[in-house]
Amino acid sequence: MRSPLNIKRGPILLTVILGCLILFPVFSPSPYLIHIITLIFIWSYVSTAWSYMGRFGLVSLGHGAFLGTGAYITALLFNFFNLSPWIGMLIGASGAVFLAAVLGYACFRSGIIGDYFALVTLAVGELVALSIIAMREITGGSLGFTLRSLGNSPLYFQFGSKVYFYYISLLFLLFALYLWKRIDKSKMQKALKAIGEDEVAASSVGINIIRHKMAIFIISAFLTGIGGVLYAQYITYLNPHTLSGVTVSLAIPFKAILGGMFNIWGPAIGTAMIVSLEEYIRVSYGTKFVGVSEVVYGIALITLIIFLPKGLYGTVLEIFHKRQRSAETIT
Amino acid sequence: MLEIEGISAAYGEFRVLHEISLGVRSGETAIAVGPNGAGKTTLLKVISGLLRPSLGKIYFDGQRIDDQETHEIVKLGISLVPEGGRLFPYLTVLDNLKIGAFSKKAREEFRKALDEIFGLFPILKDRKKQLAGSLSGGERQMLAIARSLMSRPKLVMLDEPSSGLAPKIMARVFEFVRRIKSQGYSILMVEQNARKALELADHAYLLESGRLQFHGGAEDFVKNPYIKKAYLGI
Amino acid sequence: MFEQILNAAINGILLGGVLALLAFGLNLIFGVVKIIHMAYGQFVMLGLYLIYVLTMQVHLPLVLSALIAVFAMAILGLLTQLLVIGPLLEAPRLNQLLALAGLIIVFENLAMVIWGADYRGIPLYLPILKIGNFFIRGSCLFAFLGALITLGLLYLFLNKTYIGLAIRATAQDTEIVKLMGVNSRSVYFITLAAGGALTGIVAAFFTPIYTVHPHFGSSFTIMAFIIVVLGGMGNLLGGFISAFIIGVVTSVSAVLTTTEIADIIALLIFILVMLVRPQGLLGTRGI
Repeated sequence: MRSPLNIKRGPILLTVILGCLILFPVFSPSPYLIHIITLIFIWSYVSTAWSYMGRFGLVSLGHGAFLGTGAYITALLFNFFNLSPWIGMLIGASGAVFLAAVLGYACFRSGIIGDYFALVTLAVGELVALSIIAMREITGGSLGFTLRSLGNSPLYFQFGSKVYFYYISLLFLLFALYLWKRIDKSKMQKALKAIGEDEVAASSVGINIIRHKMAIFIISAFLTGIGGVLYAQYITYLNPHTLSGVTVSLAIPFKAILGGMFNIWGPAIGTAMIVSLEEYIRVSYGTKFVGVSEVVYGIALITLIIFLPKGLYGTVLEIFHKRQRSAETIT
Repeated sequence: MLEIEGISAAYGEFRVLHEISLGVRSGETAIAVGPNGAGKTTLLKVISGLLRPSLGKIYFDGQRIDDQETHEIVKLGISLVPEGGRLFPYLTVLDNLKIGAFSKKAREEFRKALDEIFGLFPILKDRKKQLAGSLSGGERQMLAIARSLMSRPKLVMLDEPSSGLAPKIMARVFEFVRRIKSQGYSILMVEQNARKALELADHAYLLESGRLQFHGGAEDFVKNPYIKKAYLGI
Repeated sequence: MFEQILNAAINGILLGGVLALLAFGLNLIFGVVKIIHMAYGQFVMLGLYLIYVLTMQVHLPLVLSALIAVFAMAILGLLTQLLVIGPLLEAPRLNQLLALAGLIIVFENLAMVIWGADYRGIPLYLPILKIGNFFIRGSCLFAFLGALITLGLLYLFLNKTYIGLAIRATAQDTEIVKLMGVNSRSVYFITLAAGGALTGIVAAFFTPIYTVHPHFGSSFTIMAFIIVVLGGMGNLLGGFISAFIIGVVTSVSAVLTTTEIADIIALLIFILVMLVRPQGLLGTRGI
């Protein structure tokens, strides 16, 4: 299968895009655009990490749990013990990994798949949100809390200018995409693909189902935990509803699905589409009535899911392949 | 009564039927035999509207039905006994018969139809209140046939009624089919057990890998050397 | 303390009746259409608002408002089937779930746009009954009895009518039911309408108990999920029993701790059941 970025044009196009993204802040006079693109980078990174497992049929509706665990642990260690988030994020992400390991082991051992896995993870996301709220003495409950500000202090993951976050989140996104490629080239990819298609058949040819699922779940949770830290450091405010719980847990797969979770570029394209749509709607309607923008956004999401079941990029690829195939049969 | 003209059908890109034409006359019993995967079940699915044909036409009593929905086709008088019976396991025997008579016309004649069925299959009357899932294999097949008769059909289609049953019970199932044949129903039966099925047939068709290979009266069929060798084991 | 717990348990049973009704609708839709209705609690929220508007602003009698709300929610159920579920019947599971989750966003923010974030309620004062040392809120008792009667009627509908029979048969075998002459698409519409009407009825019984706000629905969707899963998905009897279990557990643990911890306990039960016995207490089965 060839993608529209075919073999010769692909690397050139990618270099051009990457170049534009790197140079963009230098020439762009608009901090607003830089802000939006930074958000796109962060959420692209998270939805790419989600798709690591989503594309193999491991649909989690509770990635907010990992986002929240990573972000809260890191931020609390910083606020109370003055631990730099650069170190804290490893601890936070380890917390997310621990949660994923316990949950994954429990689920995969008892053969929980499909709808049931989705529902369990949904519940875990909500559970983490409720736990954060219940620990209100240290977390601020549903009101959330603000990161202690140190001004420009790179050692503590705080910067005087938003442009730093732009580049840092771009780096993280590139890393997530690189890891996707690495997974694709590994044996794990083949094993997970076989598992996703038919577990019984996969185990009959000697694939260790639990181990492979655990591995991809843990990788995905680790990256997502770090994503939570990234977002919290950027916004400098933590709230259980934006970092955990049902809303954000569903927003992540939304982005991946609408781009197309089976292709490496899908989640990022979906995120760009959704974040821009959100912003556009917010700017055009949001100032007049509270909520109107979200209503329009919700309707747009449902419409997109109905008419683009394979996601934007997935659908484009499909049309392209059909054209190519019919062109081949004609010649 | 039923005329099929050049039907082709596919699951996705996988073609299962290739331009099949066949017919069932009023009051006649037609049998389609063939090996596993020959497209026999698919043929019945297409006739009953569960699968849309990609090519061809189907007429029932002169009316075109290949573009109709399943529940409409049932109303016109075609019923299907699916493979394995496919009863509603958590409904009682009586409720299974009731749902068989769902269409409005059948509902009006429910009492009469029920008496006929209980006359034909008296055991079902005793088992009336039992859950269908608790019946034995033979009884299930009996109920499945009975359920299909509740819609007051003109044509009864049976999909592998003997499959998965012990030989003794299999013989009983063919006996049920004989009973409904003697009631004057037209029958289209698809069966792997060619020898038994041909005993009931007026007309027979041979399907192999989605194509119609041979057709004729039951006697021509039995005489054909290829069929004799491959399907009747003589 | 012991009396307090016992009193909480009694209130839990009363609440369990209404929860049973709510879970019944979710279960019915799951059983028949095989879809998890993520926005079910939001229907209740809209029903409560509608009753509020009709009573307080249009000045209709409360009973009439409630009847209109039941009818309106049934229509909303039909629209959901027509516009969202119907087009996605053949789509991947995840797409169905997310589209219905999209409805949550639409409904909650619609409520926000129209009514704002304030808590709204109809000031109704039903007496508090004192039986022995126990205090029972009249509104809860009323809701409990009403829910039981509704459930009884539903039982009769499913078991004594032809349409009810078609609904049960569809839940057991979606393909074969068509061969019985049943138009399964109509059955889906009827199911969604019935499920919608149920949320209207739940809203009517909730009116004297709760005040409503735009995010009122989500906790009830989750509660209904927990009940449905605990009882075994698609198992109506299981759902009925587990509604009372969850009602008692949450209301007792809310007295002993806080409401959040009570919710956490309910979620933990849900997760444990899913892991240990995913078929639920009584097993999944057709209706």
